[in-house]
Formats: sequence, C-alpha cells, structure tokens
Amino acid sequence: MLKLIIPTIMLIPTTWFSSNKMIWINSTTHSLLISLITLPFLNHNNENSTTTSPNFFSDPLSSPLLMLTTWLLPLMIMASQHHLSKEMYTRKKLYITMLILLQLFLIMTFTATELMMFYIMFEATLIPTLIIITRWGNQPERLNAGLYFLFYTLFGSMPLLIALTYIHNSAGSLNLLLLPFWTQISPPLWSNTLLWMACMIAFMVKMPLYGLHLWLPKAHVEAPIAGSMVLAAILLKLGGYGMMRITIILNPPTTPMAYPFLILSLWGMIMTSSICLRQTDLKSLIAYSSVSHMALVIVAILIQTPWGFTGATTLMVAHGLTSSLLFCLANSNYERIHNRTMILARGLQMLLPLTATWWLLASLTNLALPPTINLIGELFVMMTAFSWSNITIIFTGLNMLITALYTLFMLTTTQRGTFTHHINNIKPTFTRENSLMLMHIIPLLLLSLNPKMTLGFFH
Amino acid sequence: MNPTTLFAIPMTLFSGTMLTMLSSHWLLIWAGLEMNMLALIPILMKKTNPRSTEATTKYFLTQTTASMLLMMAILINMTSSGQWTITNMDNPSATSLATLALIMKLGLSPFHFWIPEVTQGIPLTSGMILLTWQKLAPISIMFQLAPLLNPYIILTSTALSILVGGWGGLNQTQLRKIMAYSSISHMGWTTAILMYSPSTMILNLSIYILLTLTTFSMLTIYANHTISSLALLWNKNPLIALAISLTLLSLGGLPPLTGFLPKWIIIQEMMKNNSIITPLFMTIAALLNLYFYMRLIYSTTLTMLPTTNNIKTKWRFESTKQTLLLPTLLILSTFLLPLAPITPILN
Repeated sequence: MLKLIIPTIMLIPTTWFSSNKMIWINSTTHSLLISLITLPFLNHNNENSTTTSPNFFSDPLSSPLLMLTTWLLPLMIMASQHHLSKEMYTRKKLYITMLILLQLFLIMTFTATELMMFYIMFEATLIPTLIIITRWGNQPERLNAGLYFLFYTLFGSMPLLIALTYIHNSAGSLNLLLLPFWTQISPPLWSNTLLWMACMIAFMVKMPLYGLHLWLPKAHVEAPIAGSMVLAAILLKLGGYGMMRITIILNPPTTPMAYPFLILSLWGMIMTSSICLRQTDLKSLIAYSSVSHMALVIVAILIQTPWGFTGATTLMVAHGLTSSLLFCLANSNYERIHNRTMILARGLQMLLPLTATWWLLASLTNLALPPTINLIGELFVMMTAFSWSNITIIFTGLNMLITALYTLFMLTTTQRGTFTHHINNIKPTFTRENSLMLMHIIPLLLLSLNPKMTLGFFH
Repeated sequence: MNPTTLFAIPMTLFSGTMLTMLSSHWLLIWAGLEMNMLALIPILMKKTNPRSTEATTKYFLTQTTASMLLMMAILINMTSSGQWTITNMDNPSATSLATLALIMKLGLSPFHFWIPEVTQGIPLTSGMILLTWQKLAPISIMFQLAPLLNPYIILTSTALSILVGGWGGLNQTQLRKIMAYSSISHMGWTTAILMYSPSTMILNLSIYILLTLTTFSMLTIYANHTISSLALLWNKNPLIALAISLTLLSLGGLPPLTGFLPKWIIIQEMMKNNSIITPLFMTIAALLNLYFYMRLIYSTTLTMLPTTNNIKTKWRFESTKQTLLLPTLLILSTFLLPLAPITPILN
C-alpha cells in the first residue's frame, strides 16, 4: 500500500515546487497516474483479501472505494481551477495541498487493518475538509456549516473511540483480519445495546441517517466544488464502509437493535426525496438526494444479508460518481451566474447542448435507469428489504418514484423550456469542464457493462 | 532589572520545583512549594499596574491557603505516624487534606476560580510560566502520593474541572482567560488517570506543557491578547497564523495531531480499569473546549479580512520578542502522534 501512500505524500512537494504556471498541470497529471496504481487492487481472484502488510490491506469491499478516492482527486483539482483562478499562487497550492492531504487520509482509512488506525484516519479527514469548507466556501453561512459538520461528526465518534477501546481490551486485538474469528455470545444486556449504539452512531452521523443529517445540506451547499465532490462521493461512504466493517463483531444485538434505524432510514428516504421536490437551491437538492440514496445504503447494511452488502457497495460507488457529477454540473451553472437558484438559469439546452447531454446522463443515472450500476445497487437493496419485510416495498418503491420525480424536475427546470434573457451572455463550456464530466460518466457507463468489480464480497 | 535579581528569581523558581520533586521529606517538599510561590510573585508583578497587583494578591492568597492546608495534612501525618516520609501517609484525614491542598494548588474545580483572573492580570510570558512550570511541583507530589490520595475527591474534581474548563471558556474573548480555562480542563484530564496509571499522568502533563508553551510563544510575538487581535495576524505573519491554528487544533485533541495522544492513552487506561461511562462523558465535554478553539481558528485563519471583520488595525512594529525553540516546539506539538507505539513504556 505504500506504493500508493508515498506518491500521494510526495504530491505535496510536487505542488509546492511546481512553477506557477504548472501547478494545475502537475498536480492533475500526477494524481491521475496515482489513480492508475489502484487499478490492480480491483483484481480479486478469490474472497481472500490482498494483504500487503500488518497495517494495510485491501479486499473486495475497500478496493472499489479506494479506486473512487484516487480517481476523484484529479477530478477535484480540475474542477477547482476556475474558482481559484483569482487567488494568489500560495493559496492555490495550499488548496491543492488540502485536497491531497484529504486523499492521503482517505486512502489510509480505506486500507487500514486496525480499527484504531481506521478511527484516527476517519477523524483526520475532518480537518482538511473543515479547512476547505470554511476557508474557501463562498457565503457567510459556511462558518456555521463547518461547525455543524465538525461537531456532529465528533459527537458521534467519541462514543466510537470508547467502544473501540473496550473491544480492544476484551478481544485483545482490533485487527480486521482477525476480528471475524472472535466469537462472543453476547446476552441481551443493556450494556450490549449501548455498545452497539456507541459503535454505530458515528457511522450513522456520517452516512447520514435521517434524524442526524442536519449537517449535510449545510456542508454540501457551502463547500466549494472540490469540497462538495469529496463530501458527496467519498466522505459519506466512509460511514457505510465503517458500518460494514464493524457489523462483523456486533452480530447478535444487530437483529433487534437495527429496527429503529431501519424504520428511520425507510421513512427518511421518503422525507428527503420529498424535500428535494420543493427545493429552490440546486446544490441543496443534490445534497438531500445524497441523504436519500445513503438511507438506502443504511437499510441494506443493517439487514445484513449477502445481497444487501452487495447492493450497498454497488450503490455507494454508483452514487459517488453520480453525485459528484451532479455537483460538477451545478458548479458549472454557479460559475456562470454566481447563484445557486435553479430557476435563474433555465433552458440551458438551447445554449449549451453538450452540457445538456451531461445533465441528461447524470439525471438518468441518478434516477437509477437500467442498466447502470445505480439500478443494480437499488434493485439489490430493494430485494433485500423485501426479503426482510414485505411492507418495505412501499417505501422503496415510493422512493424510486419520488427520486425520478425530483430528478426530472431538476432536469427540466435547468435544461428545458425557454431560457431566461439574462443568461444569453454566459461563457460557453470549457474543454476542462467537458473532460471533467466525461471522466465521471465513462466509469459509470463502463461499470454498467461489467459491474463485477463493484459488487463487493459476494459476486 | 538588577542583574542579581534577574538571576536570583528564576533560580529560586527552578530550585523550588527541583526541591519539591527530589525530596522525600515532607518539610522540604513544602518548603520547595513555598519557594516556588514566592519566586513567582515578582514574575507575576512585572508590570506594576493595579490589575497585576490584584492578580498577584489573589495568587498569593490561594497558594498560601493551599500550602497551609498541606502543612496541616503534614502535621496530622506527623502526629499520627511519627515520621515525615512522603510515601507513608496512612491517616485518612491527612490524605484528604493533602488532596484538597494539591487540587487548590493546581487550580482544579471547585478551586479553579483564581486561575482565569490571575492569568488575565499578568503579562503573557508570566502567564506561560504560571500555567506550565507551576504545575510540575504539585503533579510530582501527586505522582508520589498516587495510591494514597482520596479517590472520591480526585474523581469529583476531575469531572467538575473538565466541565468547568469547557463551559467557562465559551464566553471569553481574552486569550489569556481562554488559555486559563484550557488549563483547568487539561488538568482535569491529567488527574483523571491518577488513580490508575500515574505515568500516563506525566505523559499528559508533558504534552500539555508542550502545547501550552507553543501557543504562548506564538502569542507573545505580536502580544496578542484578544481574539480580534488574532484576526489581524494573517496580515503580519501568515505562517504564525497557520501555526497557531494547528496548535489549537492539537490542544483540542483532534487526531492526527499530538494532542490526541494523551486523550487516547487516558481513555485506554481508564477502560482497562473498567471505567467506561466516565471517559465517555469526559470526551464529550472536551468537545466544548474544541468549540472555543474553533472560534479562535475561525478568526485567525479560516476567515479573511476585510470581508468579515470590522477590526481596527494596529501599528505594525518589528517584533523584538524572542521565541525560544519555536520550530521545534511546533513540530513536536503537531506531529508526535506516530510515536504512539512507544507508550507501553509507561507501564
């Protein structure tokens, strides 16, 4: 794994020592090269993981997320070029350094063997994200957004620290490769309930679960484009990944304990999708749609069947790419009219037809059109939920319907209809923006052809 | 100042603490504490305004009370056991009194009221010495007395200190008071594992001293006393602004910075002794501390003038203050977490 971590650390001196006109070129190219290194990790011949060292490993669950992380860094750097163009060179380099640090911590999170290392890196991702949101966001609300983001996550992860230390003391080790062999018959005591809650709350906040999701619209909306991309694509998946890892050891209490969270997720799916129908702010709509998709992932993980885990992994990767793409599109709107209101830039299909293609493809993947991996993920989750209880089909089916509704609402509002007169002097699409969208869409379409590598453990 | 005094006062300060740390006779320990306090008085009074006088008087009164309580404990011990060795203190009233006295010396709750007011009235470098060096002597006594001290008093004051340190700092704008409440909170964490593992207490104290020295060194460069003066720091010295932010994040206990290490080890040690709910509430109360550090970080680095603040700019003078070993301190206070695997030597 060091072949991934050391080049990522070395990206930081690359950025700082580049000449001023080569900052973007150097960082984008080298981060793309680093993402090529993660490709071999996707090759899994059997269910055993690629154990590379006592500290780092990768298995069919973490390698798609790792690939997503490293793929996203060049995209983030490409997306940030415009809004940083007027900054001083030192600040540009500082911004890119924050993104690189974030990628470093994320790589170490996804490949950690010890749960304590996972925890430390999980918390470590908060600092660069906080700096990106509060320092480079655009509105004064970003200060509150940063505080909400930091404190919601920290309130959840302090009990996780306590729970991990407790498990370390009683099991002897927190190594993920050893934990599946630690069998403990846990009687239904209050303390086991509390332990379960302590382990799961951090990931519930991160995912986010419907009742604990208040930080997400704030943080996603106020963050600059790279911040929104990484938040939606990867940081939410940290919660899902953590939940999948920690449920190995939490098994007997999970069956009764998961009920309230399952109900909350099922209801929250519908609620947040319905809120999307009433949003005026484009980024806010995409943020709430993230909550809705992640609620499906929570449902899948808590039911704990093989198809559920497969669906969760697929949905995480698919949603990562789709949400990031939608944020890039929303950002291209924002950079032209400096406003996030949807109705201010309508009828863009007339003016920017290629971007309209990207909007169409993004919307189609967001509403889980066959045969994209979004559909595979959602379908697997629906089937898992149906097997758990037949009534959930009402919720998941209604959710698919409302998702389609708001996605088409977003598409038709921004693209169709007559355009407003004040936008007839916007700049045409840059090649950089087109290649950015392309680099989001191509993995999505190619994965639809061969979803095997994102199906996680049980393909 | 007279060169003799300039030498004698720090020398007395140093030798007072050394005397306390190195002796095993109660009388000499007490004498060391007194030397310490008396030598600090002129350091606190560097500026002779009424504010400093009041602060110094408050310091003197509380420390004397604590010393007298300690003397009472020593005498009770003397009359009941007939000897002056520090490690043989069997009388429960002696140990309880000694616990109370040491808590008062350190500034833990419920005897914390003097710390913000004293720290506020004195110059920044004196505050630095007050909050770092002065903790060494009482902690060394507690380290030696660890199995004998009254656990109920210790745990109560720990819990109260962490809460008071968190809540008290929320309404402050003066940096010295913020550092004072941070000191109360960190001393709470330090005494938390006194009962279980005194060597971890030394780890916590040393990292706390490291972080506080770093913070104060950076604050003295431009004599920043208020949050609003920190807001202008990025203009004069952007590197120091960034460094203050990192150090404050470390003080707040965020991974992957050094400040997380003592909290992690303390939680581990407490859990090994089956204390689970206490560390949970301690860590959540430490988030209050993090909130006011975040406020400082917001005004220092994360928001940019002149878009958000209406602050009167100050004259830009050349900074003539000496900052001893600042790069070393800075690196140590942020990047020491990967050395965590050496912590088993504490056992």
